Amino acid sequence: MNAAVRELSYAQAIQDAMAIAMEADDRVFLMGEDIGVYGGAFGVTGDLVQRFGEERVMDTPISELGGCGVAVGAALTGMRPIFEFQFSDFSSLAMEQIVNQAAKLRYMLGGAVSVPLVLRMPTGSGTGAAAQHSQSLEAWFAHVPGLKVVEPSTPYDAKGLLLAAIADPDPVMIFEHKLLYKMKGPVPEGYYTVALDKAEVRRSGRDLTIVAASIMVHKALEAAEALASEGVEAEVIDLRSLRPLDMATIGASVKKTTRLMCVYEGVKILGVGAEISAAIAESEIFDYLDAPILRLGGADSPIPYSPILEKAAVPQVADIIAMARKLAGGGA
Amino acid sequence: MAVEVILPRVDMDMTVGKIGQWFFDEGASVEKGQPLFEIETDKAAMEIEAPASGVLRGVTVGPGEEVPVGSIVGWIYAPDEAYDETAARSASASAEVAPPAEAARAAASLLEPVGRQDGSAGLRATPMARRLARELSLDLSKVAGSGPLGRVQARDVVAPAAPQSASDNRAALNRLWLARAEGAPLVLIHGFGADLNGWRPMLAHLSGERSVLALDLPGHGKSPLVGAPSLAALIEERVASAHFIGHSLGGAVASALVERRSVAARSLMLLAPAGLGPDINGAFLAGFLRARSEASLAPWVRLLATDEASLGSAMVPTTLRQRADLGVGEAQAQIAAALFPDGAQAFSVRRHLARIAIPAKVVFGLDDQIIPPHHARGLPGMIGVHLFPGVGHMPHFEARSEVARLVAELAAAGD
Repeated sequence: MNAAVRELSYAQAIQDAMAIAMEADDRVFLMGEDIGVYGGAFGVTGDLVQRFGEERVMDTPISELGGCGVAVGAALTGMRPIFEFQFSDFSSLAMEQIVNQAAKLRYMLGGAVSVPLVLRMPTGSGTGAAAQHSQSLEAWFAHVPGLKVVEPSTPYDAKGLLLAAIADPDPVMIFEHKLLYKMKGPVPEGYYTVALDKAEVRRSGRDLTIVAASIMVHKALEAAEALASEGVEAEVIDLRSLRPLDMATIGASVKKTTRLMCVYEGVKILGVGAEISAAIAESEIFDYLDAPILRLGGADSPIPYSPILEKAAVPQVADIIAMARKLAGGGA
Repeated sequence: MAVEVILPRVDMDMTVGKIGQWFFDEGASVEKGQPLFEIETDKAAMEIEAPASGVLRGVTVGPGEEVPVGSIVGWIYAPDEAYDETAARSASASAEVAPPAEAARAAASLLEPVGRQDGSAGLRATPMARRLARELSLDLSKVAGSGPLGRVQARDVVAPAAPQSASDNRAALNRLWLARAEGAPLVLIHGFGADLNGWRPMLAHLSGERSVLALDLPGHGKSPLVGAPSLAALIEERVASAHFIGHSLGGAVASALVERRSVAARSLMLLAPAGLGPDINGAFLAGFLRARSEASLAPWVRLLATDEASLGSAMVPTTLRQRADLGVGEAQAQIAAALFPDGAQAFSVRRHLARIAIPAKVVFGLDDQIIPPHHARGLPGMIGVHLFPGVGHMPHFEARSEVARLVAELAAAGD
């Protein structure tokens, strides 16, 4: 059966996934602040409360620790909760439930239980929401064994990864970049999933590999087009998942292009790019590197409120082009 | 340990720099931070400070000379460090051959203690360049790096004329000694679609005073079907220095290989060479590769020479037999797709020719129907250009005695 494909926004694709899962499975329900009548801070849950009722689209009090704890407990009893943090920054309040409980309980109880929990994490800068509402903290959680961390870059992946996350028996965190919510793209009707552990080559190229995730994929693709006009053919890999990291796809690409740069919005130091760089340098791919590995990440600073500084604090297309040119010329 | 003095980038757009003057003479003591030499750019002259304290040695780039950014222009030795100039000079018989910075590096490498770890002498090379050098048994210290700060990259190790996709399986090329004598041999590299036997007609016109070693390019004759052209065959044959003669694609390969320091190049003769401009007869390449019979191949082979009789009668059947027996057809199609996509020459060796300091000549037939002879324009003034009227793409067949004489004269000049 060929499902019809429509143009949906990233936010609509996520809502579509949640509605499909709730219709198919009574155990699936939503929790979060202002996700009911208000429809969610970014409008993602929309009218789902009208369709599924307040018992399955539950507004929680302003207590991330409490709400997330209820979700973890529900998951332990066999329910399939989807908990929305209004801003992913507020997950710091629920660290105990995420890191010490959700991620650990299967291990602590010898596999007797699992925590089929989905955490939705509106993330990133660019909305003028300042330092406490604009961070990219995905690398924190990708550091924790027991968690899966994905970052969809397209409406198609947003729906497919969310449905895969709901079906997964263990906790999955989905980082949704706030600037992507309005982005439109083709989304099939009905149920489908996208693997939680596979990167995707978005553009093929021979000269260098750009590894990116989430919104940076789009910036990297735009940069790659500009670079192509200069004769530099960049391969762009969309990570999709930070944990697990699909090093096989990255390695195969670097083996071909011999040059690697990592682009990510989170703070550059001790971030996603550090792990990818080190993993390549430690592997047999090392002998194929024909230039130093380069990283382009967020500034070592809180995200500023000033729109100009906010933009300057995270990688932009021009920054990617400049670094790729440098890499094509032999790197640092 | 000696510290290298590097020509730095002082301007965003700068790729080469000209030394204005040295403020110290060879052998003078300098202090770290003292102005050591002056770079002239289009915009200004800039003083460059000494990177270390010690004795200035091995200055190889004089006032007015231009070298690529990142080149080593001299060394600073510790006051008590040995500097054996005669050893450096005799070891580098190619001193007049090598670009100055490379000669300095080669000389310096001879002074270093035996058994020192690769990389500890400030040798900059990427992991990939090191791997390729291991596979090719090349001494990386003798390879000039084109990357930042003179870092050796893969392209400095592998001939740039080689298709990228064929970077694996780099076995030594098939070769044949066509003549044996004393002295540096003539190393012959044939063109696209040919093999080493194509040199035999010209051979009779050489005096016999020189050794002649002919190579089969990858995907040609009896060489491996894939791989990059390298000097591994010469190294295996214990050839330390050579006169390189290349026809067409072989001319481009020779132009790239003469920059390798593992075999000292003494002269370079290019016959109707590829790599000098964009044009190449795409219809010829397509028809030549497509032909499966004498009837379809002969009309294309006829395009090679003005007088087809000069090619002899064996060329067409030999070409077909090699495709059938050795399976070179597919390999050659891949090489053509990589090097000559859409009937264009997708690579250039002008950068290499601009750097060489050995005697060199380019020969074209004015009636060449494969590569236009006007590609010989715009070469460095010291490269001789010989244009033969009434001759096509095969000067070594069509004007074999004249070309043999030019080869002999050039080799004598390079000895």
